[in-house]
Amino acid sequence: MDQSIPEIDDHEMQDGTRTNSAAATQNAASPIPSATPPKPDQKLCFSPKYILSGHTKPVASLKFSPDGSTLASCGADKLIKLWDANTGEILRTLEGHEEGISDIAWSFDGEFLASVSDDKTVRIWDFGLGTQVRCLLGHTSFVFCVNYNPNSNLLVSGGFDETVRVWDVGRGKTLKVLPAHSDPVTSVAFNHDGTLIVSCAMDGLIRIWDTDSGQCLKTLVDDDNPICSHVKFSPNSRFVLVSTQDSTIRLWNYHTSRCVKTYVGHTNRTYCIPACFSSTKDKYIVSGSEDHKVYVWNLQTCQLMQVLEGHRDTILTIDTHPTKDIIASAAMEKDLTIRLWFGEMTQPIE
Amino acid sequence: MNESLISPFNFSHPTAVQTSLYALGSFARFDPSGRFIGVGRFDGLATIWDLETKAAVRWLDGHVKAVTSLDWSRHSQYVLTSSKDWNVIVWDLASVYDPPQRHATIRCDAPVSSASFHPRNSQIILALLSTGEVYLIDLRKNHRSRTELYEPDGDEDGTEGQSSRRYAMTVARFDTSGKYVFIGTSGGYILVFNARTKAMIARHRIAGGAGTIKGLDFAKNGRRLVTNSSDRTLRQFIVPHYPRSPETGVEIFLDQELEPTHRFNDPINKTAWHAVSYSPDGEWLAGGAADAANHKIYIWDISNDGQFASTLDGGREPLAHLHWHPSKASIASTTNQGNILIWHSPNAERWGAFAGGFEEVDENVEYEEREDEFDIEDEAEIIRRKKEAEQDDVDIDTIDGANAPVYPAVNGFHVSGGNGAPPSGNVGESLDEDMKWADEDANDDIGVWKMKILMDDDDL
Repeated sequence: MDQSIPEIDDHEMQDGTRTNSAAATQNAASPIPSATPPKPDQKLCFSPKYILSGHTKPVASLKFSPDGSTLASCGADKLIKLWDANTGEILRTLEGHEEGISDIAWSFDGEFLASVSDDKTVRIWDFGLGTQVRCLLGHTSFVFCVNYNPNSNLLVSGGFDETVRVWDVGRGKTLKVLPAHSDPVTSVAFNHDGTLIVSCAMDGLIRIWDTDSGQCLKTLVDDDNPICSHVKFSPNSRFVLVSTQDSTIRLWNYHTSRCVKTYVGHTNRTYCIPACFSSTKDKYIVSGSEDHKVYVWNLQTCQLMQVLEGHRDTILTIDTHPTKDIIASAAMEKDLTIRLWFGEMTQPIE
Repeated sequence: MNESLISPFNFSHPTAVQTSLYALGSFARFDPSGRFIGVGRFDGLATIWDLETKAAVRWLDGHVKAVTSLDWSRHSQYVLTSSKDWNVIVWDLASVYDPPQRHATIRCDAPVSSASFHPRNSQIILALLSTGEVYLIDLRKNHRSRTELYEPDGDEDGTEGQSSRRYAMTVARFDTSGKYVFIGTSGGYILVFNARTKAMIARHRIAGGAGTIKGLDFAKNGRRLVTNSSDRTLRQFIVPHYPRSPETGVEIFLDQELEPTHRFNDPINKTAWHAVSYSPDGEWLAGGAADAANHKIYIWDISNDGQFASTLDGGREPLAHLHWHPSKASIASTTNQGNILIWHSPNAERWGAFAGGFEEVDENVEYEEREDEFDIEDEAEIIRRKKEAEQDDVDIDTIDGANAPVYPAVNGFHVSGGNGAPPSGNVGESLDEDMKWADEDANDDIGVWKMKILMDDDDL
């Protein structure tokens, strides 16, 4: 179990060991590996597998690499850390930003990482070499969110200067500046074929843009206009998943401007906490919460599937593994750990 | 994906220049996905531009004389360039090296005027030499060959030697299915060969005579063909059906005059045409005028009986070449100074899109208030109704329009199949044989590659 707790402090050791032994007993209680066909009454159940500590300030973003082998984390300690997603071992630490890092994104081939920071820069890192290959200047205030397009020749970033910028990765130049919002931009992403960009901001608006022309195509707004903290397209780009600071996650059909699903139960009033789709055959939605728990909902019924307990502070970020039922989560000051939760098919406990 | 939000009704022709690429090119061709554009240059270099970033992303340095043509494989992974230095080079864009690796080099016996891939298999290459000969080059292990496509002697007495009727071949193209090769000659004939058997199956004289055939383009559905010839006229033809003998399964030789359905020319200036290209839906035809002082593109509306639709004016630099985008209302036209103009059809900015829940209307509409519009509703009732509206399952995975790849039409028949399986069914046995031949030993151009992003080191 030791290798599962890398870079561990003494006081962390206790907690880590306890959690892992709990995981071990749960594994022993259900010896059926997930490879066997699940029985109809079995359901997906997550249990903590690894606790990764190393960051000394809150972790702001977690992202699995496209092949799922690596987990990248970044945070207020100005560092990017890369972890082996299967063993939890630390692979590398990238230094360079002058202020805290708010978001990271992988290129499609997993060779590059883009990070954005309060130092107003977007930086691109070579994963293989572990070096910074580019520093993009242009934002006039904190940069808060970043994403690659599917071809990874473009980057999109947004921040406290209320703009969305589209970058040419190869040349390191700004291609477009979209005067997107009237408050800090909290999240921005491309759709699956890169033709659309979705952005959301503290002004409560969700806007969809044409990548090629930079024109605004649609604006979604909820009745109560709550602060929007995260947005992403569904895998087929027919819907957008939006987290708002009224403790609600909504799935919008942006063609009809209708909310088609609502996920509630968690607490989110202060921080920008992302929500993610699962990419496995079990369809669920995952989000962090300010009550120190990770919430998992069934995509279709909107019922809670599981609430993952263990963290000791607000869960600021989560991510789902691209091929397996694995959730990564990270919490704020009182905790500072990253946890990897592995899903298995088990008999529901009565 | 973005089409559904822009406007589904306005596929038309381009109207304005969106960007100008300073490319020093003599011609430019879009790739089948529309993301890249390949540019051939006089100095022997070919460059690949990314249209999303409007930047050159690959430099194909292999020729020592002017590049004469460039073609893309079906999934854009391979690029073929031909040159006056007698070579044809196939480049692999998926290679991680920069400059990209050569996949194959073919040495010909004369300067190469043009070369193209077979539409279904990039191991089969058609090359036209400046000496007026056409070769079909097969790079596959089991078929490795170089076969000249030539017009057999008119007489059946078996005498060897050149026929007096033989004209120089001036243009050579596969049809959209890849089953046939269409060759234009300096005598105004169109010769048709079977790509597999290499036998000439038809000879068409253009009714009324047309002079040297300079260019050929097929509509995407393969049923129509347009020629550009030295008499300054563009002619559109319906591609004839080539019947097969029921016993042998071989096409019966057809010696037939072709009557154009439309003739397009400039009645006032009588300009010649440098290039001609169909729109992806085949509803528009663009002709690049060989005007010495202006950059002019003429657009005809084929769906409206070939009526002249408009002229695009691209300024003072005369036009050298043009190519229509594979899926959009966009044209790339090359000036004789080497600049590439990318034309597009701009969408008007809809300011209503910035306001949630607003809808722009073209004219005033009298608003009728519903009886209960401003009634105060019970909150529980609203929640119940919202819940109800959220009952239906959502599909977050199925991608619209991303189903089985549709093969180009085979001489009028539209065939489709999944996973690259050879199409079968409504078309004859022997046609399948042609397709089987073409699909055999296809290389790895299967559409799963992605171009590696290269970072310039300039600013580091």
